[in-house]
Amino acid sequence: MTAAPAVDLRPAAPRGQHPGNLASQPSRSTRKRWFDGWGLLMLPLALFLLLVFVAPLALVLARSFTDPVTGLDNYRDFVSSSLYVDVLANTFRISGVVTLLTLVLGFPYAYLMTLATPFWRGVMLIVVLVPFWTSLLVRTFAWVLMLGDTGVVNQTLLGLGVVEEPIAMIRNSTGVIIGMVQVMLPYAVLPLFATMRSIDRRLLQAGEGLGARPMTAFWRIYAPLTLPGVAASCLLVFISSIGFYVTPALLGGPKDVMIGELIVQQLSGVLRWGFASALAVALLVVTAALLLLVARIVNVGKFMAGDR
Amino acid sequence: MQSQLSRDAGTSIDIRNVVKRYKGQTAVDDVTLSVEAGEFLTLLGASGSGKSTLLNIVAGFITADAGRIEVGGRDLTTVPPHRRDLGMVFQHYALFPHMTVWQNVAFPLKRRRVAKAQIASRVRQALEVVELGHLAERRPAQLSGGQQQRVALARAIVFEPQALLMDEPLGALDKRLREQLQLEIKRLHHELGTTFVFVTHDQEEALAMSDRIALLRDGRVVQIGSPQDLYDRPASRYAAEFLGESNLFTGRCDGRTFVDERSGAAFTVAAGGNGVELRNGSALVVRPEHVMLAADDAPLPADHNTLDGLIRDVTYLGSGLRVEVALPDGRHLVTRTGTRSGLRPQPGLPVVAHWHAEHAVVVADDTGAAVSATVSETASTVAA
Ligand SMILES: Nc1ncnc2c1ncn2[C@@H]1O[C@H](COP(=O)(O)OP(=O)(O)OP(=O)(O)O)[C@@H](O)[C@H]1O
Ligand SMILES: [Mg+2]
Repeated sequence: MTAAPAVDLRPAAPRGQHPGNLASQPSRSTRKRWFDGWGLLMLPLALFLLLVFVAPLALVLARSFTDPVTGLDNYRDFVSSSLYVDVLANTFRISGVVTLLTLVLGFPYAYLMTLATPFWRGVMLIVVLVPFWTSLLVRTFAWVLMLGDTGVVNQTLLGLGVVEEPIAMIRNSTGVIIGMVQVMLPYAVLPLFATMRSIDRRLLQAGEGLGARPMTAFWRIYAPLTLPGVAASCLLVFISSIGFYVTPALLGGPKDVMIGELIVQQLSGVLRWGFASALAVALLVVTAALLLLVARIVNVGKFMAGDR
Repeated sequence: MQSQLSRDAGTSIDIRNVVKRYKGQTAVDDVTLSVEAGEFLTLLGASGSGKSTLLNIVAGFITADAGRIEVGGRDLTTVPPHRRDLGMVFQHYALFPHMTVWQNVAFPLKRRRVAKAQIASRVRQALEVVELGHLAERRPAQLSGGQQQRVALARAIVFEPQALLMDEPLGALDKRLREQLQLEIKRLHHELGTTFVFVTHDQEEALAMSDRIALLRDGRVVQIGSPQDLYDRPASRYAAEFLGESNLFTGRCDGRTFVDERSGAAFTVAAGGNGVELRNGSALVVRPEHVMLAADDAPLPADHNTLDGLIRDVTYLGSGLRVEVALPDGRHLVTRTGTRSGLRPQPGLPVVAHWHAEHAVVVADDTGAAVSATVSETASTVAA
């Protein structure tokens, strides 16, 4: 993350101040020395992360180049087989669709939460959080029962005569996406709600007073102010989606294998630890590259370091 | 002065029998009020008197339960805010944090689909008027409070609205800045000629800025008139106490004689308390600057009312002195004098407080129990 952006979009440092100018210049030099006495408090966490995160990662990295023989063999295998590359592409495709859908569903939901009375806001929050209280496995099996050919949905549709034969909703990407969206929804709603709650709704009123129709005021004023939340929820959902294993395994078909499944299969199925490590490293590298690209486009820093 | 924003005669605003009730209370209680074209009218009142509610009804942000709003003769009662063409300035500025100063000011023009080149020149002019041209590229968070409020002003005038509505626009600023912006707003009003409706709970601000003041109390207009009208001829004890400092005596008025119920003293007053026949339950108002002090034995004009007392406290105000005179019955009287008046006031000095009959106004005593009248109980050492 050291490469300097080709074009620096951040606001330029303030130029000459006018005499008598009372503007309080927000200090840009908030970068304190990161290591002072308080820094010691970080030590336990830093050690913990070193032990359970950095060290295993280093092992995986090393293994991908040395198991079974030293060299780039594992990576060559990965790149030369279109099957494996397809799995990686499929992983990103499904994660992308899931991210988009959770945003489309989560945005209005979070918005409604900000409008609701405290009671209904509480109810809506609990509804969103319910998935956290049940096991992923149980929920995924529930989807099998719901969406299968003899599942509740198809039985109902058949019974009503809406369809002639059952719609295939599991063992394909539809099933995977439905299952994953449900799991990921809280991760989209919570950051969106947190951001929206901090937006001053009186700005919308001000906008209307200045001649904006209510819809225009929403898109020109409210929506841009939700962008930090949108960015946060998309990143969270996308990155979590990439590593999914249980849901695609149970709800997906042979063509919907995601990279998590492939890695498990290599590890515990055919015991190619070196190759599994290479897959993991490839996933990590491609994800990081994608994120950097996105960060460059939407300039996440502008929101994160934001002036408000 | 350099402003090229067009100057027009402004637009009149008619508020007719407007009522707004909230659960348990009436925020605006049958208000009828006409703002003349080009006028600077201030809605003045204590907290909770319904000023903001009334202004927001005019702006269209709140729907009245009854009554009508007309602007320039056009009935706007059911017109949504974005089509009312009124500029609004809020106490909390309401600048759009994600836009630069320039974009904020351009916002109302863009909504009106003004041509690009024209937007540029009008935004520049509006920012010049508020003297912020050099900060156009800043974000609101990078501005001081006073600068933010000036941006809000520029944004409200840039589209040349029919009238400008301001809800305590200076409430969040410190005193110095507030006084400076008061002058700027007055200048703006003078330059633009637009109708201004200004809300404040600060009586000094209202007196300093307005062509007319409408005094609100519990959702009703209790008096409307020029600052001088309200100050010199308050319609009620409430109005007298709300605007400026006053000495108040309660009692009965009979023709040109007012009898103070506390001391039994009789004062001569100018004819007719506001033309109303006031007998019981009236109050006599004397402004501190009309009360003069004389030495115990000095000769006084015949048509002056007098009260004996002891000086209790002297405060140096820079431009003059504020003197409190303790009366024998335990109350005290406030006077303001120049620093160079004949008498040199000192605590403990016996004096005669006196005022011309013309300077005493009899009003209806419309406040409930004896609240904070200036002629008030003091733990006086001068008791008879
Ligand atoms: N949305 C509301 N719901 C219930 N009561 C309200 C509402 N808005 C205002 N009120 C009440 O109506 C009365 C008038 O309120 P308003 O905001 O107009 O007062 P104000 O004169 O602007 O006071 P301030 O100087 O404090 O701003 C107050 O008593 C207030 O409690
Ligand atoms: Mg108010």
